[in-house]
Amino acid sequence: MPQPAMGIRLPPAVVSWGRSSVDVWQPSPLTLTLFLGPAVLIFVGFTAYPVLRTFYNSLYLVGPKGAATFVGLHNFSQVLRADPVFWTAVRNTAIFTLVGTPLDVFGGLLLALCLFAGVPFARSLRVIWFLPVLMSYVVVGIIWVWIYDYDWGALNLLLHAVGLGRLEHSWLGDPATALWAVMAAHLWKWLGFNMIVFLAALHALPGDVLGAAELDNCGWIAKAIYIIIPMLRPTLVNLLVLSFIGKMMIFDLVWIMTQGGPLWSTETVSTYVYKRAFDWNTFDLGYPSAIAVLWFIIIIAFVLVVSWLLRQRDRLEF
Amino acid sequence: MNWAVAIKGACLAAMLALVGGSLIPSARAEDVTLTVWSHEADEPAKVAFRDQVASDLEKQHPGLHIKITWFEKNGLYTALRTALPAGRGPDVFYLEPDQLHQYVTAGYLLPLDDLVNWNQIYPWARAVWQENGKSWGIPQEVNDNVIYYNKDWAKKLGVVLPVGGQLSQSAFVDLVKKARAAGMVPIAQGVGDRPYPGAYIIGEALLHKLGKEDYAKLWTGKLSFSDPRVVEVLTWVKQLVDAGAYPKDFMTIKLGESFYYFYSKPGALMLPMGSFYSGRAFAPPDKGGQPADFPLGIMQYPAMDGGACNNCQTAGIGSSFVINAATKHPKEAAEFLDAMSTPASGAIWIGKVYEPGAMKTDITQFGGPHGAYLSELMESQKNVDPFIGMPLDLMTDGGCKDAFGQVLNSAFPGGLLSVDKAVQMMNAACYQH
Amino acid sequence: MRLWLSYVRRTPLLLFLLGYTILTGGPFLWVASMSLRTTSEIFANPYGLPRHPHWANFVDAWIGSNYSTYFWNSSLAVVSAVAGVTVVGAMAAHCLARYRFRSRRMIRFVILSGLVLPPQMLILSLFQILLDYQLYDTLPGLSLVYIATQLAMTVYLLEGFFSQIPQDLFDAARMDGYSDFEIFWRITLPIGVPAIFTTVILNFVILWNEFLYAVVLMTSDDKRTLPLGIMHFMGDHQLDVAMLATGLMIAIIPVALIYACFSETMIRGMTAGAIR
Repeated sequence: MPQPAMGIRLPPAVVSWGRSSVDVWQPSPLTLTLFLGPAVLIFVGFTAYPVLRTFYNSLYLVGPKGAATFVGLHNFSQVLRADPVFWTAVRNTAIFTLVGTPLDVFGGLLLALCLFAGVPFARSLRVIWFLPVLMSYVVVGIIWVWIYDYDWGALNLLLHAVGLGRLEHSWLGDPATALWAVMAAHLWKWLGFNMIVFLAALHALPGDVLGAAELDNCGWIAKAIYIIIPMLRPTLVNLLVLSFIGKMMIFDLVWIMTQGGPLWSTETVSTYVYKRAFDWNTFDLGYPSAIAVLWFIIIIAFVLVVSWLLRQRDRLEF
Repeated sequence: MNWAVAIKGACLAAMLALVGGSLIPSARAEDVTLTVWSHEADEPAKVAFRDQVASDLEKQHPGLHIKITWFEKNGLYTALRTALPAGRGPDVFYLEPDQLHQYVTAGYLLPLDDLVNWNQIYPWARAVWQENGKSWGIPQEVNDNVIYYNKDWAKKLGVVLPVGGQLSQSAFVDLVKKARAAGMVPIAQGVGDRPYPGAYIIGEALLHKLGKEDYAKLWTGKLSFSDPRVVEVLTWVKQLVDAGAYPKDFMTIKLGESFYYFYSKPGALMLPMGSFYSGRAFAPPDKGGQPADFPLGIMQYPAMDGGACNNCQTAGIGSSFVINAATKHPKEAAEFLDAMSTPASGAIWIGKVYEPGAMKTDITQFGGPHGAYLSELMESQKNVDPFIGMPLDLMTDGGCKDAFGQVLNSAFPGGLLSVDKAVQMMNAACYQH
Repeated sequence: MRLWLSYVRRTPLLLFLLGYTILTGGPFLWVASMSLRTTSEIFANPYGLPRHPHWANFVDAWIGSNYSTYFWNSSLAVVSAVAGVTVVGAMAAHCLARYRFRSRRMIRFVILSGLVLPPQMLILSLFQILLDYQLYDTLPGLSLVYIATQLAMTVYLLEGFFSQIPQDLFDAARMDGYSDFEIFWRITLPIGVPAIFTTVILNFVILWNEFLYAVVLMTSDDKRTLPLGIMHFMGDHQLDVAMLATGLMIAIIPVALIYACFSETMIRGMTAGAIR
């Protein structure tokens, strides 16, 4: 439990007056408005209303000059039955998320454990390892496109130098490897963040437990699994959720590196929605809205299933 | 002296001056700022051309300010697609003929029939921009589809061609095989950021085989892709692909990068391209342009056995400009378009860009560092029967265009699809029975 | 607490550390080196060191490409958005964590559901809405959108943390006569510093590099944010790899410098008061 920082005056302990403290925590309308008001306003104006409008849009076909014709569920049936690209995009996004999230979070945990174990230069390593997190996707994307370049990229040159020349590929040009290549770039960017959060959490762990756990090279894996990870569970779940959601929505990196190609092997739902709305020739917002609605339903279903599986009732903390 | 009062007074005076100054109108009533959005930010010759036309026009017209914002094509199209529906578009913008249909249908263009001086433009170029009986854009650049090649390397392989020469179908395959055997990359091409370069060889071969009429029918959905002639052509292209004609990272090389791939590193034998090649290639060598002594040759696309029109060649209209239907300055916008199309401008265009233009000019008399190239280009066009329009210009359906970009442009030359699969996918997207 | 391991056992670990450090830091060094060379030099030897550093590249890039405007725009939009979402989010989180009222569950659920909303659900409609409210292509409009997009995550993280603060503190404060706002200001906020710090950093990193909304909701060149500016710059210099590298360095250096200065503060903030 974190201790309060210096500078606040803790009120003296007072004997309970026999009144249930719950009564006191009934907020006055003024309090409610002050605290919750701005958030609710922004939410309604910039989240709830757009969502409703998207639902609304999905029922129409928007033609030239904004003339909208009501088509009911036609867009939806088109997406589900007649759109192979949609299903490819769903599949790609699912793979990306389900594989990428554990790699991301547990990789960050691994790095944090390394630093926590007291290696030399831990402070500088912390700075260097966190650097990619701060970089724009444009920077990350372009650097990795250069690394994956077939003729002069670092990856192929490295393989060649090590004698594995026959493994040289056009990493972003081959549908079999493109998605994994993008995933590697994404992990490169985000591992540092998970590492820092875990590091903070590790430092907040009670010292006596860790002292008893004396990490040495042979048994440290076991000690890590049985002691440290359970203690970090809330942070772990937190980061898994954040990472999962971040990967489901992925757009920027894919757009910069491959734009959904080759042959739709890196097409994600977000890139497909964007293409239908802004790249295709029809200026129609109805069809892409239907895709967005369907995707939303899929995500909600997934989240419900996962939370039912976890049945996590604990409050989540750092 | 009371310093506090003096300082306060000075501040007050300064504020009054600032406020007062900004109240004085600094522009005269007739001042007009024309906003122009243009592609080709990375082609210094074209930037120089349009900047020069703009500044000349500004000099002739005091009070007219022309503000050109430069984009790369995909960035431009994205910006247009978000700005135009928002009513925030520019007065004039760059467009290519393959976008004509949807912009007209969406109502974003102003008809130019009565605004622009059409006597300065070739009628066949004007025709490309016509729909529903009206003209919607002013063409500027004419692209001839040719194959650029490295003369020295070709000689090493025993192939010497006259300017604008043409190989037969089998000779071409031979050349590709020989090039691979000699360790050269036969064809530099990349589809990383455009939906058409991979289909250059396919398109021209189809044109040669089918002749103009059937070729047009194919792209407008009236001829099936399972027509035996089409299948023959695709099978021949598959031979090339299997012989290793294209680079390994064909899928990711960008258009501009494929130029560099051809004339610098790693170097390739051939580059099938439109004649807008000169816009980037003639940039200074240390900025990514062609090396000074590069032995550039120009040849036609190969002749097909039993082809209906082996001296046909696609001439596309490239850069063009249109006026936003919502503009508040149609007259000034039209003036700018006119200024870019005068014979004098045509002369500047050719002199800087080394490409034919859609404006009427006399092309025979140009010198300059690349004059020899231009003469060769004109020479290679002597016996050519031009077909106006690239495949994407002829298609109107979004799904068909998408399939073209993914199948014929990308996956098929990339070796990912068989002939049958490609035929099937194209028919599914384009053919209307 | 220092845990010492014997050197022999540490070798694989050290190798791994070295490898990962090269993987994270290497690309930056490479781009830095490329930014000081010319394109022809780079293609001749992609991984060499600059022979004669071409500092002029940087001057060209900064002046010719309007970077200062983009930087300023990004700073304005992101700083105001992060400040806004932190204030609004903290207040909402506090209210949801502390008070009991009838619609609490529902409001909490609704706001948190924003967490799983894909941007695509919002972007098309936000586009239309901003148009209607005349906020299209304006920095305030973009800021508001950023606040809205980060609100759910901020409330999620802060509410989870705030609800862990022992109720006794609050009961005692209430008995002591503190007003609602004072309780928030004097108890929740100081104790919540680690969580707030973390959300500020996370929001800042996400919004500074935010790309999708900026692309759709901004069109004028002089209102572009930095990621858009970088993309635009890339389009302008497609063949000129040296300039591309220079552009990347201009994007990287300020962020790296700020981080290098503040990394200690950041870690201390995230682990405020905890035992080391």
